Amino acid sequence: MSATNSTSMRDALYESPGPHTRRRIRFWTAISLVLVAVGIGLIVRRFYVTGQLAPRYWELFARPTTWIFLGKGFLGTIEVSLMAGLIAIVLGFLLMLGRMSSSRVLSGICRVIINFFRGVPSLLLIYFFFLVVPTYGVKMSSFWMITLPVGLAASGVLAEVFRGGMNAVPKGQSEAAYSLGMRKMKVTMKIVFPQAVRYVIPSLISQLVVVVKDTTVAYVVSFPDMLQNARVLITNYDALVSVYFVVAILYILVNYAINHLAVSLARRSGTSIISRTSENPV
Amino acid sequence: MSISELLSEYGDMYVQALLGTWWMSLVSFAFAMLLALIITVFRVCPIKPLRVVGDLYVQIFRNIPGVSLLIILVYALPYLKIVMDYRLCVIVTVILVASAFGSENFMSGINTIGVGQIEAARSLGMGFGKMLRLVVIPQALRSAVLPMTNLAVAVLLTTALGSQVPLSPPELTGLVSYINTRTVGGILPFVISALMYAGTAFVIGVIGNAIDKKVRIVR
Repeated sequence: MSATNSTSMRDALYESPGPHTRRRIRFWTAISLVLVAVGIGLIVRRFYVTGQLAPRYWELFARPTTWIFLGKGFLGTIEVSLMAGLIAIVLGFLLMLGRMSSSRVLSGICRVIINFFRGVPSLLLIYFFFLVVPTYGVKMSSFWMITLPVGLAASGVLAEVFRGGMNAVPKGQSEAAYSLGMRKMKVTMKIVFPQAVRYVIPSLISQLVVVVKDTTVAYVVSFPDMLQNARVLITNYDALVSVYFVVAILYILVNYAINHLAVSLARRSGTSIISRTSENPV
Repeated sequence: MSISELLSEYGDMYVQALLGTWWMSLVSFAFAMLLALIITVFRVCPIKPLRVVGDLYVQIFRNIPGVSLLIILVYALPYLKIVMDYRLCVIVTVILVASAFGSENFMSGINTIGVGQIEAARSLGMGFGKMLRLVVIPQALRSAVLPMTNLAVAVLLTTALGSQVPLSPPELTGLVSYINTRTVGGILPFVISALMYAGTAFVIGVIGNAIDKKVRIVR
């Protein structure tokens, strides 16, 4: 859940303060303001005394070439994230269908696969595609070496997201369809799934944040994403601290924007975001 | 490479890697919970600057990619004369990220408490601190068990970041790349690590579910 929709409860926690309490709150507000200012001051001082505020570390950000180069990397990040997201959606959808099928065997297998992908770090999958797959003679470009593992890792979570969405569709809908003589496949694809999409879209978007984060290890397979291009900038300008901080801030802003979009969509459609945290762990 | 060869050569390292991963996860999770609680208190307290700091903290660390943060701790902070050893860097990274998500879990736990309960507590004459201690935090903790279980699994998976810095002994993910750079290990070393992760995640899930069943608030 986001910070924004919790404001009401936050404010309910304390009644409107009387004059005495107001004075106390004002006192502690002032103290904490000073503390925060001192904290920021100390951080800036640390940058200053170690010489990291020197213009030569920061003037590269005034050149358009820097931003064009970072932008190219960012395009790479977008490409990889979207492809990984697509893989995760398709595979997650198939896994969900298998998990919800009436065949015990198929359902069991899909359950194991889903839990496997949810229980294994994406980095391990990346190393699998980077180190293990080539030894079996499969040639892959760095693009697929990063998109496939990231997509696989997300597919387990998405399968559960889809399942949550399917279960959120009122039972009467599928019952009505069955009584009209539709087959199970048709009911799933034509009646339940189209309605489930409405519930899952915010969750899909918020899962994109996880995908974007996972793609930042693209340097392992030397795919030119934003972080990889940042490393090139660092060797070119010999400005490590400033570049890493700026790139981190860029990632934070992008992910914040995606999260914000997901939350506002969820609020508008009256659904809640299903993520890894809100599902059953086993 | 057969399984017996692999185990005779790297068996000890697997045990060490598994223990290392468990240890890092445990330490990170414990400190993350503590920090999450503190941040959450910041976020609900009536002092505006603390609220802003708490919100900002959560937004920064839930949106920053783990690798990006780790790289800053490992490679950028030494330029600022702050040097930590590699393992500590990994643990701090996991703590910072996990505490942001933990605080979000606590916040949504607090949000499930009805406003009526707060009003009732206040009408009994409880102050802010007492109300937080006796009414809000116990319930927030209880309804946060399942999300926190998932967070524990996420912490376990995030410790794989340790493979990006030289750790000795390496953790489970680093060990796979270590073995593969020395021998053609094939699929087996990978499968063993993966099963260790998935098995640990499964056990965490079972424990979390059991705790949740005990303390869940039935409304």
